[in-house]
Amino acid sequence: MNTDFVIKDLHVQIEDKEILKGVNLTVKPGTIHAIMGPNGSGKSTLAYALMGHPNYEVTAGEVWYKGENILEMEPDERSKLGIFLAFQYPTSIPGVTVANFLRSAMNAHRAEEGKDPKETAIPMAQFRKELRAQMSMLEIDEGFARRYLNEGFSGGEKKRIEILQMAMLKPTMAVMDETDSGLDIDALRVVANGVNALGQQESEMGILVITHYQRLLNYIKPQFVSVMMDGRIVREGGPELALELEDKGYDFIKEEVFSNAS
Amino acid sequence: MPASNSNHTLPALADLTDTQIAEASRAANEPEWLTEWRTSAWQNFAESTPPFWKRTDLSKFRSETITAPLGAHNTTLICEQDFAKHGVIFTTLADAIHNHGDLIKQHLGTAVDPTAHKFTALHAALWQDGAFLYVPKNVSIEAPFLATFTFNNGNHAIFPHNLIIVERGSSAMFVEEYVSDDVEGQGYSSPATEIFVGEDASLKYAAVQTWGKGVYHIGSQRVRLNNNSNLNWVIANVGGQIQHVEAETSLENVGSRVEWTGATFANGTQSLLTAPILRHAGTNTESHLDFKTVVDETGYSTFDGLIKIEHESHGTVTRLEEHAIHLSPKARTDSIPGLKIDTNDVARAGHASTSGQIDEEQLFYMLSRGIQRDEAKRMIVRGFFEPTLDRIPVESLRERITNLIEEKIR
Repeated sequence: MNTDFVIKDLHVQIEDKEILKGVNLTVKPGTIHAIMGPNGSGKSTLAYALMGHPNYEVTAGEVWYKGENILEMEPDERSKLGIFLAFQYPTSIPGVTVANFLRSAMNAHRAEEGKDPKETAIPMAQFRKELRAQMSMLEIDEGFARRYLNEGFSGGEKKRIEILQMAMLKPTMAVMDETDSGLDIDALRVVANGVNALGQQESEMGILVITHYQRLLNYIKPQFVSVMMDGRIVREGGPELALELEDKGYDFIKEEVFSNAS
Repeated sequence: MPASNSNHTLPALADLTDTQIAEASRAANEPEWLTEWRTSAWQNFAESTPPFWKRTDLSKFRSETITAPLGAHNTTLICEQDFAKHGVIFTTLADAIHNHGDLIKQHLGTAVDPTAHKFTALHAALWQDGAFLYVPKNVSIEAPFLATFTFNNGNHAIFPHNLIIVERGSSAMFVEEYVSDDVEGQGYSSPATEIFVGEDASLKYAAVQTWGKGVYHIGSQRVRLNNNSNLNWVIANVGGQIQHVEAETSLENVGSRVEWTGATFANGTQSLLTAPILRHAGTNTESHLDFKTVVDETGYSTFDGLIKIEHESHGTVTRLEEHAIHLSPKARTDSIPGLKIDTNDVARAGHASTSGQIDEEQLFYMLSRGIQRDEAKRMIVRGFFEPTLDRIPVESLRERITNLIEEKIR
């Protein structure tokens, strides 16, 4: 089975305004692929559309993964197929603890048709052990397991909890939307180390890192870099492209794209 | 005596007279003052017109066919230990009337006014079941005192009266629980609970309504708090057909405090109303009221709350929060928060209110983690109620309500 994650000519609109105007991109298993772009270029729209947010309407294109066009699947089915989105702005769920939420998510992944969910559920002891190990790796205080998900968490805490969820669910294709925003340098290092450790454990995992700044890419090192502007991928290259952007800013690409178009 | 008395039942309401009420009272060896109390309440009932309740539809309620059993058959009292050696009394009110008549006479009807309206008058005339809990001075009991009320069948009424007295410096926990299967025909539940918390005393109080279908639940609850006393009150309403509960916390004298939380879930054709009143009638009193409501299908729920700060009441701190989630476009909630302030000296008064459907972003977030839509909805609703249900002091009861709520989300 082809396990490339293939985005083909993806068009997405929000409230009749076209944001993505034909995105093409392939993420191979075991690789890290960065998408960089200025504010408003459509990066976050891509992340939400890949996960199936109801406000993002796909008007054309396909996204193929493991033999399925995932655009025809519900978000929970996409998750079970192995796709994970680390949110830029994770929502809080009052009254639902981090531990309870994670266990429900894991059990949903383990559920099999025609089987009693109790049979496939992760045993409590195993869950606790796994949770403790991952929290320790991400330097998250164990007390967070009993707190309500993201309620009253700082920006940095929310991002760590996103990566904790990723570590527990072990996706095969992770999309990370501006994971560096709101993180100080220490938190950034912890989060990046977590992602890298996970990438080593799960050597077949593809990662799509969406970021505005090159900073994160010092810690999570991509093999491929794509630049997005005005809803399209306008440049592709290796890690050196990120450094060039850091050096020159986005304007030089804008000018190139503009002059090519004219 | 009428034939129906042979199976310990008063005649149907339509045929009942004050003479029969007096006879039944005397037959139960009740003190004369109580017999008079009942007959005068009956007269009040007979003479008064039904109250007009805009949000409680009683048009299908066939009260005249309902019969009330005699004796406290429908009360089950549970406490894991007997605390009699500490001077604690926990028995049915009907029993207590014989040995502790003075204590009862002194308190009965001083929290819930029998003349408030037709239904409180009827209750006063006919009360049979109910718990009497007396905790003497400086006694702290950790174990909950639990009173459970039930129906045996339809077209019956129960009139439990709970009287709870926690004396100075003591602490206790009281739980009243209403539970039945769905009833054939109509059931009528008309409880009243009167609670007195003494100086420096504290009480945890849980009132849990999980009637089956077909039950009309029209009740009153009032807690009076003395100097520096503390009340932690949790209400859960998930059952019954029609509910109309008037509840009040009176913060009297100096420095009393209440933490009051409620959870209501109305679905099907249920109509559940709660009318909580916070009466600040003392100095430096503090209240926090937090009500959560979920409605589904064509369910209807009303929060008719009032914070009343009386003229001589200084330094009041009060906060009212109410939040509602609609799981179906046909379900309705009404929220009528009121604030009546008769003093210029309020320390702090706040109000927050939300109402709407399940948050789409929360739902998407959970779906994105593989959790199915129905399960995500259940988790969000359970989480919404969690801080409230967490306060129910009996674990088995907490679990039962959580399960009832989950069964309602289909």
